Amino acid sequence: MDKKIIYRIVLILVVVGLAAWSIYPPSERINYGLDLSGGVHLVLQVQTDDAIKAELDDASLRLASVAEEEGITLGTVLTDPDNQSLTFDVPAGADRAVLSEIALDYFGDYDVQRGADSWTLKFKANTEKMIRDQAVRKGLETINNRIDEFGVAEPRINRQGIDGDRILVQLPGVDDPERVKDIISKTAFLEFKEVLGGPAPDRASLMQATGGTLAPGTEILPGTRTSFEGEAVGRDFYLLKKVAVVTGRELRTARRSQDEFGQANVRFDLVPSAADKFGAFTESHIGTPMAIILDGRVMSAPVIRARITDSGVIEGNYSIDEAEDLALVLRAGALPARLIYLEERTVGPSLGHDSVVRGLRAIVAGLVLVMVFMVIYYKLSGINAVLALILNLLLLMGAMAYFGATLTLPGIAGVVLTIGMAVDANVLIFERIREELRVGKTVRAAIDTGFGRAFGTILDANMTTLIAALFLFQFGTGPIKGFAVTLSIGILASMFTAVFVSRTLYMVVMHGRDRVQTLSV
Amino acid sequence: MRIIGDTHIPFLSYRKIALGLSMAVILAGVAYMFFGPGLNLGIDFIGGTQVTVKFNDAPDLDRIREAMSTISAATPEIQRFDEVEKHEILIRIENPGDVEGDFTKPILDALHQEYDSGLSGRFDLNTQGARELANRLSEADPEGILGDAESRREHYQTQARAVLEYRKLQGMFASVDALDKVEGLSPEVLAYIKTIAGAGEFALLGAENVGPTVGADLKNKAQLAMVFSLLGMLAYIWLRFQLPYGIGAVAALFHDVLITLSALALFHREINLPTIAALLTLVGYSVNDTVVVFDRVRENLKLHRGEDLEKLMDNSINQTLSRTFITSGTTLMVVLTLYLFGGDVINTFAFVLLIGIIVGTYSSIFVASPVALGINKILVARRRRKRQR
Repeated sequence: MDKKIIYRIVLILVVVGLAAWSIYPPSERINYGLDLSGGVHLVLQVQTDDAIKAELDDASLRLASVAEEEGITLGTVLTDPDNQSLTFDVPAGADRAVLSEIALDYFGDYDVQRGADSWTLKFKANTEKMIRDQAVRKGLETINNRIDEFGVAEPRINRQGIDGDRILVQLPGVDDPERVKDIISKTAFLEFKEVLGGPAPDRASLMQATGGTLAPGTEILPGTRTSFEGEAVGRDFYLLKKVAVVTGRELRTARRSQDEFGQANVRFDLVPSAADKFGAFTESHIGTPMAIILDGRVMSAPVIRARITDSGVIEGNYSIDEAEDLALVLRAGALPARLIYLEERTVGPSLGHDSVVRGLRAIVAGLVLVMVFMVIYYKLSGINAVLALILNLLLLMGAMAYFGATLTLPGIAGVVLTIGMAVDANVLIFERIREELRVGKTVRAAIDTGFGRAFGTILDANMTTLIAALFLFQFGTGPIKGFAVTLSIGILASMFTAVFVSRTLYMVVMHGRDRVQTLSV
Repeated sequence: MRIIGDTHIPFLSYRKIALGLSMAVILAGVAYMFFGPGLNLGIDFIGGTQVTVKFNDAPDLDRIREAMSTISAATPEIQRFDEVEKHEILIRIENPGDVEGDFTKPILDALHQEYDSGLSGRFDLNTQGARELANRLSEADPEGILGDAESRREHYQTQARAVLEYRKLQGMFASVDALDKVEGLSPEVLAYIKTIAGAGEFALLGAENVGPTVGADLKNKAQLAMVFSLLGMLAYIWLRFQLPYGIGAVAALFHDVLITLSALALFHREINLPTIAALLTLVGYSVNDTVVVFDRVRENLKLHRGEDLEKLMDNSINQTLSRTFITSGTTLMVVLTLYLFGGDVINTFAFVLLIGIIVGTYSSIFVASPVALGINKILVARRRRKRQR
């Protein structure tokens, strides 16, 4: 046989072999997108303003307590999140040198603006950026921990952009999406605070003692009033000391438990350093209530009966699942700031399964229709085209498996379209061959010109589709990107199969026959 | 076999009628889109929450509407999804104002309240997950395997997953008795699940929520993709052929896209991301036919120098006519199978291609070449005037 034909056949066999090797076994090699496997796609935004506010609140408390230690009692420290600054009046007779030293030692991230009677501490140039960045990173880490604890296989959790505030979460195969979403977005900030007054039915009655205004260093938070049977019957308000005794950052672990009546609750342990603080506080406050606060709501305010050191219980009329989830998020850590959902796409497993079944049906139906048409219309040459088409699909799947591309529902549509478009090239060639035969060329010459002339046209025609696919990939998201990839690979594969493979098949058929009189086309 | 033999149709002599017809259709379509009911933009672009649920019994839309009335100020849109006998419903709520927010939970809570009061705290086979079921099983330990919580959970996990696998394949549990059909459950576990579980009236098939930020973002990207693709086509054809042909091809594309959009508006089809993807695919595909014709024009220009361009174009269109019909035909075949078998999710996608390919085939004959011819005439005349000066 002609060496040229042998080289061609070897090349085709190598390509087919590579494709077959890369998709075997298909069930493991083809990645399904979330819209086919079922799953959750979330885009969350970290409310980094929260972190700025929290830093300022924290700094104001820190400032007051450090100054107190140095013998200077500051009045109210005002926080201004818009200007990212703290302002306080310098008490008469206070040693300004000491204040300067405090600012220098403890507030390195702030610039000090010294006024005549009030000073302002303001974020340095990159402090804001740093805090926001940390909040997003901590958010990412926390979500990672929570998903890890919840146990989702192959989660993908990424930050969008290098310094963006968005987090992309993709969880395949989730069967109870609402619960996962709940676990992700729960802030879960736990605090223990001293109760100064309450419970009371409204805020005003709590402020009566202080003449209708809130005393500095205190705050009022709501809680749920529960009946004896444990049902929520209204709201209660508590007057609390603003500084927390211990916060959720100092938790060692938390787990679901239950009380003597079988009601689910959450039991927690503190880290040793916090246990000392907690022990000292509870010992000196026996007989007074202490509030357990979760995300700004008082969950309960039990009276301290004895010194408590390293463990305690959170009660809140929870169901088993709720207690389980709360323990999980407490273990995994609190979020540094609230998260809001910008985008959410959930596909239930059964819908995904349904899409796969229907997609396969469409592929098979399309394939059969096109094959039957090609064979009827172009006879033996049609069989040539059918072989090229089957090879095209094999190459398409092989390339997708090799590059780890994801098959999505629009991607299936891309496969179906590829079936229709791949034969376009064959049609172009066959029509050209027919034309050449009609003007009286020999079979060999007709095939040669047919392929030769048609190739330029095929290239031009396919390039335009590739250009559209390129921009789809550039600007598209998830499933649409999958479609663009499938379509592009399909088109490239069709250039190889319809031109190179089909030509080789003709060469093989023609080989050894000197004068071919007729061509079945 | 040949469907189309040698033809000598003077296509370009019909150009005034054809262009007039196209203009009329486009103007009517544009008027309908901008001054009439307009395009039906989906939540991908306007922002909102869309939840698809499947019911056990044929759902009563009014009852669902009633249940939703407590949720938000915006009126929820409730419609059937997919085939009627599947009992699937789509609930859509626009985000009020410019508020970010996911309404999936409120929608599901409202449905639970309306439909699942009979469950009263039982495990819902249709909305809850394998993890909860495994938790409950390891808690109660119906098989009495003892051991610590972790090993118990591991033991029961497989059976809990088998229950959920049934839901995946069947869509939902019609009743607790359907548990008998779940494979791999031990008699003790089966009996226990029957005591704690109930089959809720509905199951969640899917949910989508796009906030205003992402919505605006997606809209922007869709427009950019559209503009860049059209520019890309123009540049490519300009490069490979000549400017008049590039303009002709892009005019045909505008024609196809505008008419397809009009059809989307007329049939009140929702425009979402996949619809845009279909439109872009259409842009890439419909230019194929045009390129094939222009390619033949270029070839004939070399063979028959000095021939009248109009006659040459007519010949080229006739020579490639059979090919044009067959390639459009094979692609139409597969798009039709998508339209018929692909399901509701992919249906609008197929609709766009179906309309687009038909319109695109027409425009590659009746729009692209006439426009290229017209532009060419103008350029030639201008060149002549310059030379005379």
